[in-house]
Amino acid sequence: MSGAHAAHSHAGHDHGHDHSHGHELPFWRKYIFSVDHKVIGVQYTITSLLFLLFGFALMWVMRFQLAYPGQPIPLIGKMLGASLVDSTGVLIGNGYNAFGAMHGTIMVFLGIVPLAVGGFGNYVLPLQIGAPDMAFPRLNMMSYWVYLPGGLIMLASFFTRDGAAQSGWTSYPPLSVVNIGGQTWWLIGMVFLITSSLLGSVNFIVTTVQLRVKGLSFFRLPFFVWAQLVTSFLLLLAFPPLEAAAVMQLMDRVAGTSFFMPGGLIITDVVQNQYSGGGSPVLWQHLFWFLAHPEVYVLILPGMGIIAEVIANNTRKPLWGYKALVYSAIFLGFMSFIVWAHHMFMTGMGTTLSTFFQFTTMVISVPSIIILTCFIISLWGASIRYTVPMLFALSFLPMFAIGGLTGLPLGLTASDIHLHDTYYVIGHFHYVVAPGTIFAMFAGIYYWFPKVTGRTMSSLLGKIHWFFSFIFINGVFMPMFFQGMAGILRRQYDQSYQLHGASAQGLSLMASWSAWCLGLAQIPFIINFFYSAFAGKKVGNNPWEATTLEWSAPSPPPHGNFATVPVAQCGPYEYSVPGRKTDFLPQNPALEA
Amino acid sequence: MMLLASDTRYGNWLPPQLSTHGDKIDHLIFVLHVFMAVLFFGWGVYFTYCLVKFRARTGHAATYEPVKGGASKLIEVAVIVFELIVLFALSMPVWADYKNKPPAASENPLTVHVHSKQFEWQFHYCGPDGQFGKTDPKLISTSNFIGLDENDPNSKDDLQFVNDCHLPTGRPIRMEIFARDVIHSLSIPTMRVKQDAIPGMRIPIWFTINKDATTANVSKGMVQEFPLARTTWYRIRHHVAAQDYKNKAGDIIVKAGDYLGNDLASGKEIIQKLRDAGNETVSLRPGNPLEIVCAQLCGNNHYTMKAQLKTLTADEFEAWQAEEIKKKNTELEVDF
Repeated sequence: MSGAHAAHSHAGHDHGHDHSHGHELPFWRKYIFSVDHKVIGVQYTITSLLFLLFGFALMWVMRFQLAYPGQPIPLIGKMLGASLVDSTGVLIGNGYNAFGAMHGTIMVFLGIVPLAVGGFGNYVLPLQIGAPDMAFPRLNMMSYWVYLPGGLIMLASFFTRDGAAQSGWTSYPPLSVVNIGGQTWWLIGMVFLITSSLLGSVNFIVTTVQLRVKGLSFFRLPFFVWAQLVTSFLLLLAFPPLEAAAVMQLMDRVAGTSFFMPGGLIITDVVQNQYSGGGSPVLWQHLFWFLAHPEVYVLILPGMGIIAEVIANNTRKPLWGYKALVYSAIFLGFMSFIVWAHHMFMTGMGTTLSTFFQFTTMVISVPSIIILTCFIISLWGASIRYTVPMLFALSFLPMFAIGGLTGLPLGLTASDIHLHDTYYVIGHFHYVVAPGTIFAMFAGIYYWFPKVTGRTMSSLLGKIHWFFSFIFINGVFMPMFFQGMAGILRRQYDQSYQLHGASAQGLSLMASWSAWCLGLAQIPFIINFFYSAFAGKKVGNNPWEATTLEWSAPSPPPHGNFATVPVAQCGPYEYSVPGRKTDFLPQNPALEA
Repeated sequence: MMLLASDTRYGNWLPPQLSTHGDKIDHLIFVLHVFMAVLFFGWGVYFTYCLVKFRARTGHAATYEPVKGGASKLIEVAVIVFELIVLFALSMPVWADYKNKPPAASENPLTVHVHSKQFEWQFHYCGPDGQFGKTDPKLISTSNFIGLDENDPNSKDDLQFVNDCHLPTGRPIRMEIFARDVIHSLSIPTMRVKQDAIPGMRIPIWFTINKDATTANVSKGMVQEFPLARTTWYRIRHHVAAQDYKNKAGDIIVKAGDYLGNDLASGKEIIQKLRDAGNETVSLRPGNPLEIVCAQLCGNNHYTMKAQLKTLTADEFEAWQAEEIKKKNTELEVDF
């Protein structure tokens, strides 16, 4: 620890020095090209929330086509470009596919990951370990300024002649290579986004290992920090293969290579001699899912970290099985690298490979179950405060359970034969990431808002937001399991075109209307967010009576974070320690005073 | 089992199940969902109890000491044991048959080559000689869409169809799946069959259709009353009237065997006419009860990629095939 401490004090000194000149920084250095992890965290949060809203809005349009196939989109139909709609304002097949591909891409790569890691990780992690900033502040700034252009490139592709990418967020070749549309833009955008994630992950790992304050041993770290640490390793190790694959696909599109293109393709009855052939479309799938399965845990782990903080704080007792949580998160991270081919059971995979991947898939369910078990056992003997963050955190638990459980029939090859590529899959992963991760993100926003702004969000608006979101999000995704059972396939522009799809058409209406109402349910949140930032009730440094180090910093923390360098005297969740006047024992003794 | 079992109709649950291996898949899906329901319900009871019992209130404080007890470990172990049983007893054997047990020659399997392209399924039958004729991309034309070389003696009795597939029941079927342009995925929901079609690969699958599952039989079981007040055209667009419907003047609104309109506008009109005639329900059955569809995004018209599947008894199939070969050879003679 002494080495880490020395490094920290050194960094702290540097920042103290910076800070003395901080007020002299011009606006653009302070708020635009800032190296302060908190400003970068807020930049990431705002940007990614806007992307989330945009990605969600794409779905409103798609859900109109699914509910009322072939009818003109009301209000905005005629305003959309020719690559998306016909002259009467009806969404066309290419437009639907572009919206579908971009919805997935935006939600995952521009929404949740930047929010969970770039936003929450950046803002909270250094504070929770008592550090004055990230280990590499300039790298941190660069990470955001590589992410933003990546996102803008993705958005810009909508305005090109042929529209945005149309081959799904998975971009399977040969379709993605031969398709017109913005696939080239998509690939270039992805290279930016991956680079941004890599820059961030290195920073998080070094910061966590090197900048912990005195007394903050690894097993005294809040679970949120552990979750971010494991997530960073996943990003660092899983993204490079996709970056390489994206460049290879880009070369297939623009430079005449054939990494993923077999020979002898005949497209619209014309033999395609421009591809030399010899490539394998399945190779892309392996490279893609080698990233994209760990990516699932990148999406969920930071959420679990937030849930841990909120549950401990609002149950007023230590998390049950802290070490089991930590070991499970590490094991989960490791296992996530060896399950990827369960996305590919239907490619013609034989029994040898599928036996391995089915088995690892069953194994990876174990740490997830342990994590969920630890959370729900933590409720036993608690004194539960039903705050807004806690309502979202409590909702996360059954929603994540549904998402996890419905992974079972997909992870087993036999049941996957029927359910593969159906709406069952869509329901399954959305339960994990929408009422799962996104609810965790909401919990985190309501929870740390007072730290970021010094003001608290309205509890009434928060509860309205939670209640209607909870109802309608289930209205969106629960029907999908039934539709999937009925055999409705994903990525269908008109589900009713097929007999089994038409028969389950009523469920599409239910999901669509729920999705639009879910949109309305976000209005209280948007109002609350902006109103509270400027006119919310002012609160002290530790409004939730929490224990972890970030609450001993001023709200909002100044550049350099802590007035005096904190120390950690105990574990992260010492709530309701017997024989004390208050029901929380802060990690930083200064907070008690 | 009845709770989750598919009936012979389409709806908001599993579609009809007509293959010999499909029951095992449905059984696994059933077992898994019962397990999920039990586990989720158990969790739910405990969870709800905690939310009420341990709510913050005056006079109640949290306990610092972690709760002890082996129940959670026991449940975790039980879940793991269950998963292993499902894996080794219910999933792997089915998959092993699906992948490693092609029908033996003694079972007289029917081999069909399935070619996929944007947005068509093409079926190539080898005919009674059991030999597939050569194909060549250069010969592809609007009438010869798989590019069959008619000069090859093996081609004489070969048949090719677009989006129209005839298969015998009770006889093993072996399909060899090819893709010409992008990845497609052959999906037959009613047979519990799905297999990607990947350019550059030749992927075999096999299955057997239940002996009594002929299109004619299946259709009979699918007649259904739809309440007109709550039925949209989308819901019934693939259905035909099971009987004649007349208006009050005695004029036919829709004849038995006719579709209720071919687009939203005409469909709405017919539904309205039926209601005006005093009908509260309408008796319908699917026009083509069995479909082969594409499960992998393959372009802007991906959703239109479907073939009609007609299942015949083995004898009917032979007769149909002989008839089609005769038809083809007379057409060829006329051409010459």
